[in-house]
Amino acid sequence: MIENNKSKQDSEKEGGEIIVVKNLSKKFGSNVVLDNISLGIEKGKTTVIIGPSGCGKTVLIKHLIVLLRPSSGEVYYKGVRIDNLPDDKLNKVRTNFGFLFQGGALFDSLSVAENIKFPVKQHYKVTERSGLDELVKTKLSLVGLEGYQDYYPAKLSGGQKKRVALARAIALNPEVILYDEPTTGLDPIRSDVINELILKLRQGLGPTSIIVTHDMTSAYKIADRIIMLYEGKIIADGDASHIRNHPHPVVQQFINGRIGEDDLAVLRASGTIFQTQYLPRDFEK
Amino acid sequence: MIETIGAKSIEMSFDLGRFGRFLWKSLLASLRSCINPRTYPLVWDQMHIIGVRSVPVVMITGAFVGMILAVEAYDQLAGMGLEEHLGVLINISVVKELGPVLAAVMLAGRVGGALTAELGTMNVTEQIDAVKSMGTDPIRYLVAPRVLGCVLLTPFLIIYADLMGVVGGAFVSLEEFGINSSGYWSFSASGVEFWDVSIGVIKGFFFGGAIAIISCYKGFTCREGAEGVGRACTEAFVASFISILALNFALAIISKAIYNTLWPIKIML
Repeated sequence: MIENNKSKQDSEKEGGEIIVVKNLSKKFGSNVVLDNISLGIEKGKTTVIIGPSGCGKTVLIKHLIVLLRPSSGEVYYKGVRIDNLPDDKLNKVRTNFGFLFQGGALFDSLSVAENIKFPVKQHYKVTERSGLDELVKTKLSLVGLEGYQDYYPAKLSGGQKKRVALARAIALNPEVILYDEPTTGLDPIRSDVINELILKLRQGLGPTSIIVTHDMTSAYKIADRIIMLYEGKIIADGDASHIRNHPHPVVQQFINGRIGEDDLAVLRASGTIFQTQYLPRDFEK
Repeated sequence: MIETIGAKSIEMSFDLGRFGRFLWKSLLASLRSCINPRTYPLVWDQMHIIGVRSVPVVMITGAFVGMILAVEAYDQLAGMGLEEHLGVLINISVVKELGPVLAAVMLAGRVGGALTAELGTMNVTEQIDAVKSMGTDPIRYLVAPRVLGCVLLTPFLIIYADLMGVVGGAFVSLEEFGINSSGYWSFSASGVEFWDVSIGVIKGFFFGGAIAIISCYKGFTCREGAEGVGRACTEAFVASFISILALNFALAIISKAIYNTLWPIKIML
């Protein structure tokens, strides 16, 4: 408790950092996914976490809401340490967060309306059904899907699923919204729709947004701050222009979408297309 | 070799510890759900899925158990001129052991497999994480209603299995083998006590709880991909089956001890 109060004061001194991560490490067996990461997330800002696949971006964002517990290190929300809270207390903290999962994670067995009502029904005693219906209508119109209340997730396209998932994530008007790869798997136009929605939510509700992505177009458009993860460590941290001009070769390679010399050498060594199409003669169709 | 055995042992003890925690949390959440009217609709839904839809398969199982017992036991008893005692043999076997166990095994396959597949798919598609992220305890929301549904309805399903076992056994004995019906039923009535029926039905609470908790646990801890979900379903059925047999053995010993304590004179007779 004393430790929590001290951290709260520290956090306030640090100037509006709503989430603070200290020396966070995560191992799965012998595989170190996050290696001693420390960072603070400023309130009301949009922070984008970039990095190659498998570098630990999703693992990091899941630690911010303690869907994963750290192997070592600490996570603070508004100055209160949350990574060691028991589940019942953690559930109360989580109502301040909205999480947009990579695949949407909509409940298959519930309609769009029921999905959006879910968090509200879990935390409020709803006396009037019309109030809930109105809330669903408002949230769906915010993501441009008014009239889809009775659809089931299986009938929606990838982009629509993400928009419904976003409507569900903002159902409780959270202070922090976490987005895990919000534009992955979408065409450039649908991706831009999601980007515009993220910007719109920022203006409307004013939440803190943390976005994991490897879509640089999206990152440049929405980020106040970009953090790059590589092999479980932060290798770059700053605004868009800082990242564009960063001297680290891995950062330049990533933001420009270029294959590394080492990877290229491996590909060249593996032979030509003709050689890879080779089948032994004794193979029969 | 030693390293492999050591690693397996550590993995097994971790798994056992995780299951112990899950079991404890599930029991607490189920007890809390009993006194929380907000969870009643969820329990009601599960009772429909788990219980009502299982009635036909459980009744068919019970009927065949009774009929097979009659076919197999008739020759032995008829050889000794004791064919009218067939009713006691069939009915006591059905209500005390075979009805409950085979109904539970059928449920482990039908309901347990479905629970594991449903929760396993929810797990790999991050729906369980989504429940958590919205500040809801997934054990309270997903596991407790399923446990209560299984615990409350398995005894009723066992009653259906027992009834059909009795009917099936009587049908073959009386119609096929032409045993005198008054003798058949009077020996049955004198040989099968209310205690025997009660023990069979009480077993249903334990079997139902075991099937639900094991199946939900396997769903919650299943590995990613279609193969992970498939493997979890297989493991859930095997673990449920073994636990049904183990629980049946333990409950048989306990019920016998209680019976001997309550009615010692009957044992002597």
